[in-house]
Amino acid sequence: MTDKTMDVFIKKTGGWAASQLEACTRCGICAEACPYYLSTGNPDYTPIWKVELLSRAYQQRYTLVGKVKTALGFNKAISDEDVRDWSLIDFNACSMCGKCAAVCPMGIEINKLIGTVRAGVTAAGYTPKGLMDKAKAQDEFGSPNGDGPEAYADWFASAEKEVGIKVPVDVKGADVLVVFTSLEITGKKSNLYSLAQVLEAGGVSWTTSLEARDAFNMGTIVGNGKLQKKLLGRIYDAAKNLGVKKILVTECGHGFVALRDNMPNIFGEALPFEVTHIAEFLPKLIDDGKIKVDASKYDDGKTYTFHDSCKIQRAGGIMDEPRTALKLLVGDNSFKELASNREEGLCCGGGGGLRAIPEAFDNRMAAFKLKLDEVEEVDADVVVSTCNNCQLQLKEGLGFYNVEDVEVKGLIEMVADALVLN
Amino acid sequence: MNPQAMLAFARGPFFNVAITFFIAGMLYRIANVIFLGWSKDLSKPRGSKGLGVVKSFLRGGLILPFFPREKKAFVNNPITYLAGGLFHLSLFIVVILGAAHMLAWKSLLGFGWWTLPLPIVDFMAAVGIIAMVMLLINRLNHPVLKRLSGAAEFFNWFLVFVPMVTGYMMTHHMFLPYENLFALHMVSINILLIWIPLSRISHFVFYFFSRTIHGVEWGKRGTMP
Repeated sequence: MTDKTMDVFIKKTGGWAASQLEACTRCGICAEACPYYLSTGNPDYTPIWKVELLSRAYQQRYTLVGKVKTALGFNKAISDEDVRDWSLIDFNACSMCGKCAAVCPMGIEINKLIGTVRAGVTAAGYTPKGLMDKAKAQDEFGSPNGDGPEAYADWFASAEKEVGIKVPVDVKGADVLVVFTSLEITGKKSNLYSLAQVLEAGGVSWTTSLEARDAFNMGTIVGNGKLQKKLLGRIYDAAKNLGVKKILVTECGHGFVALRDNMPNIFGEALPFEVTHIAEFLPKLIDDGKIKVDASKYDDGKTYTFHDSCKIQRAGGIMDEPRTALKLLVGDNSFKELASNREEGLCCGGGGGLRAIPEAFDNRMAAFKLKLDEVEEVDADVVVSTCNNCQLQLKEGLGFYNVEDVEVKGLIEMVADALVLN
Repeated sequence: MNPQAMLAFARGPFFNVAITFFIAGMLYRIANVIFLGWSKDLSKPRGSKGLGVVKSFLRGGLILPFFPREKKAFVNNPITYLAGGLFHLSLFIVVILGAAHMLAWKSLLGFGWWTLPLPIVDFMAAVGIIAMVMLLINRLNHPVLKRLSGAAEFFNWFLVFVPMVTGYMMTHHMFLPYENLFALHMVSINILLIWIPLSRISHFVFYFFSRTIHGVEWGKRGTMP
């Protein structure tokens, strides 16, 4: 099995990865950024240690010193047991949040290298079962929870009853194709209704698609390139066939980055359409005067704060737009920043697929505690986020620690609730 | 071999071999990485990659060692930041701006430059030595550093430490005759020069790769590297 791991490592190790592996000085500062190390004190969770398997493979395969050491019998070949061990730290104690890359003095993109280790672990078949089950389900049905096109068609149709809007499905020539996260159809159906209201009010020419319905990408999460490409391909083809100018991703983080930043490289061409996220699209509708919001809606004396999601904010770069919109909605005085914010934002603890790994529960809750401490530090009543997965983790964590006076809200629902209809 | 002959050997043929090995070894290391191939990024940038690279180096070179962007990371591990930063500053001041070293560079390169007064250089040399000791103690005690450190890390430390100490002793005529110390200093530098391409001390070259990559990645998304 380790042959397959090595194959992946060799295939993915170009100058980009090698030069960064060479740059590490073993200073250990990355650990101080990692929510899983900070909350558990387990040195195995040091971000660069999570890359050790790849680093060892690189040295043995590509460097002169490594080759000499192997010839002399000093090098340990990567064993099945190693791959299993690294599965435990790279999947169960890493959300690929990328904060380590921000503090690394050498600027090593540690989280991306961890992605390569994950791919190697997956190739050998040691991905945590909970995660692999979701990947298989998405491969078969299109969504990790097993929802197929019929379930989505029903959901789209339900908007007419709920908010009186007929959701456009597979409309050729529309400007914007909206793709969802499967977490919405399973846990937050109302997001569709809220978004439909906002888009209609803003006069946006939009469509959904039964083929390209889910931005969620289990291939990205487990590091299975074939599955990642297959899932991206559905959206890529649908967007091309429908002739849209934009793909609008709702509350999905990793799916957004996969579509915007990975898809062009995977398909080998610059995208003929733009990929955007509600975190920048909705604020722009307000900014352009396309929709109007009634700020007094949130004149409730509550303190609001914004949770930076690793993929949408740190990796996506969409940090100012949701803040501007939120401040407009709740007023400058009701908004407080968390101690760690923007590029330095702390992960909620539930990214990177951890919510699908039962064995990672303790790590997930421990990491969430760091976030909770920051939320309590500013006495926030409401935590606002643009990522559905973060919202689920925040809610679960608040329940776990019996915090009853903090609410979690999404930006979509907040904008929709404050919408002024003409 | 008497100290004079030893010194002549260490400054002459041994040094020539060491510096040649160092340069050839480092060129090999760089070429090895470059020829592994680089893929082109076709995604649409949201911000400026070039500006990202500039910011990446400003942050990495000037700010990170002493004013880390992440307050909590500093509080949890101040020795790595402070001693690590001071060690590199000391290295730069002593090896580049110290008069004795400048003369050594001049004999190699054919030109010299302005240097700092000896008391400042001497003080910084002492700071560097203390910083190195702090870093060693930290590496032996901090759970993360213990996890990351193997024999190579301690050997690297030792090979960097010896030239620093022998250099300092030379300046202050401590313990041994000047010529003996000079010979030891040169021998230890030669060994270090040979060791650098074989070890992680070569990070000073890959630093420019990794911080450029970091700047490109973070600049591309419009975030602060």
